[in-house]
Amino acid sequence: MARVRRIETPGELPESEAIRLAQAGNAAAFERLYRLHNRRVYSLCLRMVGNTAEAEDLTQEAFLQLFRKIATFRGESAFSTWLHRLAVNVVLMRLRKKSATESSLDEMTEPDEESGGPRRDFGMPDLRLSGSIDRVNLQRAVDQLPPGYKAVFVLHDVQGYEHNEIAEIMDCSIGNSKSQLHKARMRLRELLHESMRDKAREDRKAAGNAGGED
Amino acid sequence: MATVTCKDFQGRFELPEDLARGSSPGDLSVQAHLRDCPSCRSFIEDLGKIRAAAAQLVASDPEPPARIWFSLRAELEKEGLIRDTPSKTPSKSWVRELFSGRFTALPRPVLAGGYLAALLAIAFGLSGPINSRINRQRWLDGTQSSTEPLSAQLMSAEKASFSSFPASESPVTASLHQNLEIVDNYISLCENSVREEPENELAREYLYEAYQQKADLLAQLNEQ
Repeated sequence: MARVRRIETPGELPESEAIRLAQAGNAAAFERLYRLHNRRVYSLCLRMVGNTAEAEDLTQEAFLQLFRKIATFRGESAFSTWLHRLAVNVVLMRLRKKSATESSLDEMTEPDEESGGPRRDFGMPDLRLSGSIDRVNLQRAVDQLPPGYKAVFVLHDVQGYEHNEIAEIMDCSIGNSKSQLHKARMRLRELLHESMRDKAREDRKAAGNAGGED
Repeated sequence: MATVTCKDFQGRFELPEDLARGSSPGDLSVQAHLRDCPSCRSFIEDLGKIRAAAAQLVASDPEPPARIWFSLRAELEKEGLIRDTPSKTPSKSWVRELFSGRFTALPRPVLAGGYLAALLAIAFGLSGPINSRINRQRWLDGTQSSTEPLSAQLMSAEKASFSSFPASESPVTASLHQNLEIVDNYISLCENSVREEPENELAREYLYEAYQQKADLLAQLNEQ
């Protein structure tokens, strides 16, 4: 987990007190809530969109929506779950919008098992991801996941949420969350294998060229 | 014991977490398959590696830039969501946080090279072209030690902005002015820090970011 620092921002208010004061429009309470959760929300946005400028924009939008609705928060779910639900929605909405304008609809819809889901090449040669996985390669592969898979993968494997929390955040069943996560990991495995194969091919080509020059 | 195929095995979405703690007959047959099948073993190893690498991703995430809060706060004030009197100066604990832990541990955010220039260009749209832009890299490297050109440009843009306002302010304009005061305080704290520790790259980066924030606010004021 990332370095967690004790935050001393406005007045050391406990979260519950900050929520109560924010509901009354208290500026310091808004700031306290923001500083308590901004890192995780920013990280979620960044992992989902893979772009700092957009992640900043989405973080601001998620908090803005949160503060607009804070008067309606009654504490039925954890505050952080509520905030993450808003953040995930904000990000998915943005991705949907982008997908509508920038790419075909096929790229947005999650592939099902029949058509474009993770391929089950059960008879394929025994490929194994060699060594540990490079962070850059993994992020590149995560960027290629469909938004639904990506959200569950980021929430579970990157941010450490449990399936019951993800089910609440994503408004789905626990089984669905597990299923999406499994498909996401399978797809990532495929993508990482692909990039491994590409790299091996390039290395061979480079070695061939170098040999030809000798 | 039922026979488990690779398809069954790799289709179990509980894997690999539930595999380790499996004790039901179904799980036992899964484990037996795993013992005999190198392909499924590498499948499980790969998923484990992906999970381990994913857990490391969060450690490399940068700290959210300070400007998110400034913009958010400006928006909250604009929408009337902040209903109490805002403090005009940053709290001491906040300042302490900004100038201690974050300065030593914060990874440097990657900022687009032309971002400041673009903001300043917008901010100064009414007051003329920018003749001597500060070079961000030289400033962060310490080879350009003074922020005076930038400071002076911001000040003249501020004067130009204020002179163009009508006598009575709208609530939005008043709120932007309030934010400008906050950013000015922040800038003076950053400037002091840079003066005290000229080699502190993060202090310089924060000051640079504060200038951006001010340019942004001036741009918004000009739009009013």
